[in-house]
Amino acid sequence: MAFYEQHIHPKPTTFLSKYVFSYDHKVIGKQFLWYGIFFLLVGGLMALMIRWTLAYPGQAFPVIGHFLFPESGGAVPPDTYAMLFTMHGTIMIFYAITPILIGAFGNFCIPLMLGARDMAFPLLNMLSFHIAAISGLILLGSLFTPLGAAAGGWTSYPTLSTLIGSPGVGQTLWSLAIFTLGVSSTMGAVNYITTIICLRAPGMGYFDMPLTIWGLGLTAVLNAIFLPVLGAGVLLLIFDRVFGTTFFLAGAAATTGTGDPVLFQHVFWIFGHPEVYILILPAWGIVSDQLSFFARKPAFGAKATALAMTSITILSTLVYGHHMFTTQMSPLLTQTFMTLTMTISIPSAIFFANWLGTLWKGSIRFHSPMLFSMGVVFVFGLGGLTGLYLGTVTTDLYLHDTYFVVGHFHYTMAASVLLGGFAATYFWMPKMFGTIMNEFWAKVHFWITMMGLNGVFFGMMLVGYGGMHRRIYNPFIYEFTQKLIPINTFTTWSAIVMGLAQIIFVINFVHAVFFKKEKASDNPWEVGTLEWTIPSPAPHYNFKEIPVVKCGPHEFGNPNLNSNKDFQYQTEELA
Amino acid sequence: MSGTMVNQELRLDPAKAKLSSSIAMIMALISFSMLFATLMLGYFAFRFTSEVWPPLGMERITLGLPTMSTAIILISSLFYLGFESSFIQKEAKKSKLYFYSTLALGCLFMFAQTMLWSKLRSEGIFTGTSVFASMIYAFTWIHAAHVLGGIIALLFLLPTISGKRDHDKSLSLVQNVGQYWHFLGIVWLIMYFSLFVF
Ligand SMILES: [Cu+2]
Repeated sequence: MAFYEQHIHPKPTTFLSKYVFSYDHKVIGKQFLWYGIFFLLVGGLMALMIRWTLAYPGQAFPVIGHFLFPESGGAVPPDTYAMLFTMHGTIMIFYAITPILIGAFGNFCIPLMLGARDMAFPLLNMLSFHIAAISGLILLGSLFTPLGAAAGGWTSYPTLSTLIGSPGVGQTLWSLAIFTLGVSSTMGAVNYITTIICLRAPGMGYFDMPLTIWGLGLTAVLNAIFLPVLGAGVLLLIFDRVFGTTFFLAGAAATTGTGDPVLFQHVFWIFGHPEVYILILPAWGIVSDQLSFFARKPAFGAKATALAMTSITILSTLVYGHHMFTTQMSPLLTQTFMTLTMTISIPSAIFFANWLGTLWKGSIRFHSPMLFSMGVVFVFGLGGLTGLYLGTVTTDLYLHDTYFVVGHFHYTMAASVLLGGFAATYFWMPKMFGTIMNEFWAKVHFWITMMGLNGVFFGMMLVGYGGMHRRIYNPFIYEFTQKLIPINTFTTWSAIVMGLAQIIFVINFVHAVFFKKEKASDNPWEVGTLEWTIPSPAPHYNFKEIPVVKCGPHEFGNPNLNSNKDFQYQTEELA
Repeated sequence: MSGTMVNQELRLDPAKAKLSSSIAMIMALISFSMLFATLMLGYFAFRFTSEVWPPLGMERITLGLPTMSTAIILISSLFYLGFESSFIQKEAKKSKLYFYSTLALGCLFMFAQTMLWSKLRSEGIFTGTSVFASMIYAFTWIHAAHVLGGIIALLFLLPTISGKRDHDKSLSLVQNVGQYWHFLGIVWLIMYFSLFVF
């Protein structure tokens, strides 16, 4: 229920108040979208450099290699390689996925789908973006410090991340950037939760909310609870590096202390496992909605899907130990964590079956958002199933720190979230910018991306199963890995193809935002949720009258529809 | 129920706007608690795995300054409670007195903390002396940074105190700042007992 009256604010007129210091959740969402796409390209370029090095060790990176690494004749040097995979992980997780899925679509969708005029705290929202921007600048700045950027992996384990492992200022700036971004995301999370509780349109119960909002809301809860844990961890890391404390120093590393490097791993993964769900929950929600929208059927078991996502959110807080089976935990603990991890497959199976149930006998419209959503179903299925081998102690002991892990988490986080993000972008494009992206090129983009990413990530799992470790500059100095060179080359070329396919997206996107004359209609996808009841692009006040909700978000093909459409708006009453 | 009717009902109930700010404050306090809970997790991990405490031949910290800080911050919390109730009853003079006492005690707490840090240094206890010393410094720093934030939050109440802001509108602000201030007191109490007393 909306708790209080929301006023219509006057339209901002100056450039600064309109595009830079905007209080409007839609503009802030777009700011986050551009921010995320920029970092997606930076992180993607880094990925290509890593892949190139693994396929052609010691050979110059094409086109820009000689400019970036003149001392080594254009090839990526070993120390730079460590920086590349560290920064690739950090950028993709914290600066690309988080801003796009949570920052952009969280901001854009929550008020619109709830029937609100803005977030509960617009000023907090604006500050959240500007703090994220500062954090991004700190991280980019760290690339240009004397000893280079952080190189201890995105997990930043001590002693790799202490002054012994990385003496440069880059690691300190990394920690500072992550802390700053944590502040920004926590502010966003508080705002999202309050908005969802307080600003739902009259008549909208929690189960009348689209599942997108469920996903975003649960993400916000996890963010608010677990980002401070990482915040404390990196804060202590900064203290260790700058003020000489000894939290994560042990043995010879600390002259007098009795710190413990493994403590950081605990703190990191107490945050880190929920973080996985922070990243994937919005995509799950978006996909759950879109499968129903484009199959022209009610979301099968929508309530069960929402509750399954909620129970996964709760369970995700109890399983972090499965990242640390090789740290000499007691067998009692490893088995406990293993069992708890396995229980997550129960709710996962529930909503996965619901997705298939939604598709079953639907009259599916294969528009580009639907293709991407179905892509998520496929890649998340693969990613989820391969997780079982890593959650099981016996198999994890062999697979730990191999490329199998890398393939697994790219399937779940990179592939699923990337495809989910694209589905969201193609889907909400008309409401965000008032135009539809070219469908033909969207589909070309989908198929090349889909084939490319499966080539990349399945190839990774294969070489990992073959025993290739992650984070090694040249794994082929070991004899047993030399047989894996062809698969690595295949993986690299898949990555290059996938990378090039994103140029199609960027051109399509930029064209639709800035150059396309043809305007989209108010409801091009024929969907009944509240954001489609208003003009495209959404006016700055969103809703002229706060809407009153009378039915759920997925009333497709309901025999009680009282019009000749096959869907109905949430503001319409069922007969 | 028609749309316009619902909107009119909402217009009659503007006091509910307050609720959203207290929901936000609760979420924010949960976030802050997780930050300090993580620090305490580290403390307990070290405490229960080391054979002697304090480790590495360190002495316990003398309780004088920490106890004084505890007293200061608890009394400041009491003053804030007094400020809140007198503010609700619109007793301007009384609330002003309570408010400025809270503010003064907040500053005094910060002063006591800096005294504690310089005393530790003069006793030869530095951040790297042992992990126990690291914890004392790091935890009190982080807490002090939050107290500084609390003092700034108190300063944001100045227009309310001087009557420049509408009484009803600032009530939720007063309550929220209060919750944060009491929260800092509780965190200090936990730190006092875990780091200094036991
Ligand atoms: Cu995990």
